[in-house]
Amino acid sequence: MKIHFEASACVGHGRCYALAPEVYDADDQGHCIVKFEVVPPELEAQARAGAANCPEAALAVEDGLSGGARAASARPSG
Amino acid sequence: MTYAPPAVNPDSREANPYRPDVAADPLAFYDQLRTQCPIANMEGVPSGTHIISRYEDVKFALRHPEIFSSDVVAVDIGQDRPLIPLQIDPPGHAKYRRLMDPQLGPKEIAYLESDTRALVNDIVDRFIGRGSCDFHAEFSVPFPCTVFLQLTGLPLDDLERFLTWKDNIIRPDVPLGDTQAAQEVRYATGRAMYEYFEGVIEDRLANPGEDVISRFVHGDLEGRTLSREEIADVLYLFILGGLDTVTSTLDCSIAYLAQNPSHRRALVEDPTLVPAAVEELLRLHTPVMQVMRVVKQEHEMHGVRMLPGDHVIVMLGAADTDPEEFGQTAGDLHVGRDANRHFAFGGGPHRCLGSHLARLELRVALEELHRRIPDYAVAEGAELYYSPGIREIASLPLVFEPGPTLVGAAS
Ligand code: SF4
Repeated sequence: MKIHFEASACVGHGRCYALAPEVYDADDQGHCIVKFEVVPPELEAQARAGAANCPEAALAVEDGLSGGARAASARPSG
Repeated sequence: MTYAPPAVNPDSREANPYRPDVAADPLAFYDQLRTQCPIANMEGVPSGTHIISRYEDVKFALRHPEIFSSDVVAVDIGQDRPLIPLQIDPPGHAKYRRLMDPQLGPKEIAYLESDTRALVNDIVDRFIGRGSCDFHAEFSVPFPCTVFLQLTGLPLDDLERFLTWKDNIIRPDVPLGDTQAAQEVRYATGRAMYEYFEGVIEDRLANPGEDVISRFVHGDLEGRTLSREEIADVLYLFILGGLDTVTSTLDCSIAYLAQNPSHRRALVEDPTLVPAAVEELLRLHTPVMQVMRVVKQEHEMHGVRMLPGDHVIVMLGAADTDPEEFGQTAGDLHVGRDANRHFAFGGGPHRCLGSHLARLELRVALEELHRRIPDYAVAEGAELYYSPGIREIASLPLVFEPGPTLVGAAS
């Protein structure tokens, strides 16, 4: 799984690192720092939860590691 | 709930969110807005005050300050100059946030947690033995206000004065709809606030401490310090944000949990649910129902033309309960929700500066309250009056099983 982070959209809500502290961290502005480019399998659920709760949709996760992988939207389906 | 006359009139496309009956139970109102009138016009205003309610539209408005500006024209609340940073649009806005955000970031305020926890328990001790309280007056007001005073180093003795000021500005005590009287109260209050701030700024310049105001006064703004006027413009907003919004959120949350015991029990049994519950309570109740913007570039939404100078009421509460975003459970408290991208703290560049502090206060309050008083109900016969705009409850009488004070238990 890969994480795409749109830094210009981040305004520091801090939902990502509150919900997934092992995947995301805060800089001194309270903006997001993504700790991994490729997420270890055991942290995928965290990575997904953090992205799904960013009110600015600054984060998206993409399943799989290489090209052609299905892009998984972090948006809710309901 | 039925409104008489209706708060939304789909034929005339008029709506009025500033009614106590709407504030008490806004879900039906929000629903009607989103489905029948996605761009409504403020009732009684000839034209040019638009109400935006759908999640996607609210998101767009929050993220496009070049179209929907929050500059000083958007809200006139007795201030002389734009409030900083809210009424400064990007790009100028970012430099202030770069100075201010680090003072109120989640890591920077983490040290407040143990004192905040102790404070909640002190406050609970004042009424737990009685088996009843007015939760608004005895908890929701003193708790966040004390945290705010500790953080800013402002004197506790002046609290009454601050509370009067913020009420004069947010909900001036004038006949409903008398906007001119309301503005007069706000201007007089603004004068008193600026005058008071002069003394505070003088003091912090001479005797800097560890408090947040000292840090703002001495902080670096692109190679210079803030001017006195700039600091006053920061403090004006600080008093309003710091002293009102957490109070309203606690009122709405505790009233809801008192009336929905199964949700309360779940939190008592498993306190690890509290952070998610805080997000859901924020979303479902969105105590700051709306934020104001002013149109800077002509824009069309759902066939309605918005012209430069038009005012826009961005109905955060309606967005936060939109089934298009939150699914069929949008109107319920659903603590297990996977994705909760609510805008209770706004969004886009003007995202609430105090959101991390507010979340800390709310989490600690719910954890400690439920540990000490697991079971409570709204006193029989009590009528809850929710104030429109920012939904505080004027009086929230609760009853519960009396319990021991901590001090008493320890000695
Ligand atoms: S939740 Fe989104 S906006 Fe907030 S810090 Fe994380 S990435 Fe940034």
